[in-house]
Amino acid sequence: MQEERQMDETTTADEGGEFDPKAASRLLETTKRRAQRQFEFPSVLLTLIQAGALLAAYGAIWLSVRGQNPYSGPSGAALVELYVFVAVASVAVGLEARRARAGVSRRASRHEWTRAVPFVAAFLSVYVLMGALRFDGFSYAIVYGIMPAAGPLIVVGAATAGYAAAREDWQLLGFAVAAIAVGAGSAFAGPAGVWGITGVSLCAVLVCRAIVQVWQRRA
Amino acid sequence: MTGAATATDALDPLIHVPARLRIVATLAVLPDGDALSFTRLQNMIGLTPGNLITHLRKLEEAGYLKTEKTGNGVASRTSVALSNRGRKALDSYTAALRDLLAGL
Repeated sequence: MQEERQMDETTTADEGGEFDPKAASRLLETTKRRAQRQFEFPSVLLTLIQAGALLAAYGAIWLSVRGQNPYSGPSGAALVELYVFVAVASVAVGLEARRARAGVSRRASRHEWTRAVPFVAAFLSVYVLMGALRFDGFSYAIVYGIMPAAGPLIVVGAATAGYAAAREDWQLLGFAVAAIAVGAGSAFAGPAGVWGITGVSLCAVLVCRAIVQVWQRRA
Repeated sequence: MTGAATATDALDPLIHVPARLRIVATLAVLPDGDALSFTRLQNMIGLTPGNLITHLRKLEEAGYLKTEKTGNGVASRTSVALSNRGRKALDSYTAALRDLLAGL
């Protein structure tokens, strides 16, 4: 840092001064890495907060439904806990997005909200499908157990995977495909077990994502 | 002229200055077309406003940057974006730097 500041002061005063190519290469890499870290979204911390919030939210539901026979759904307290953790994670996402994008103006900012359309449509479709399944006579355990735990992961994961592939964001694509796999695989655990398996698996996927982010920073 | 000076002749003199290299490298991290406010750029680079303006002006004159001022008076805001020409210049500079270091 001290070295960079000294170099700036020297060259501002006298631009004809020698600037060693090795020092230039180091400065270029350091600056890029530092800028990437400052614009990074989500940050490693946010990914870990999301992992903790998901584990707590899905864990609360699992604790309230485990051992139910027949399945009667989560308790009101577990649902309140779920919404509290979702709210905490949403606030953290909002604050982090504000930090990363402070001072950055996007070319297509007027139409940026349209990016949310596929995600909202995919999310809402799960609840429409739940209504249709209940209407068609499917059991309470499938409609209110397996569907709300696994459904959003599969459809929102698919929407995210399409978005990530279009932007060539391979890290996000890997995360989205992992979320789809968690959603589809956890359904085998039944209406109560699906909540526990989904919570633990999603937490593990997010922790892996945080590790990849740290590794990319150091590479 | 020394050997080292001859070798560095291959490097774009507009970018081969620490402060300007940091400006261009920082802006290059943003996606194409995105702009950064003068205030945040200054915070990230750590130069005085006067120094930063001087360097930005040189880069803008070369067509490496585009600056845009919006609003009036105290509400005015200046944003800076790397142009396509600036992005290509940084790519060429990076390639030249790599060649130069490989030959050392």
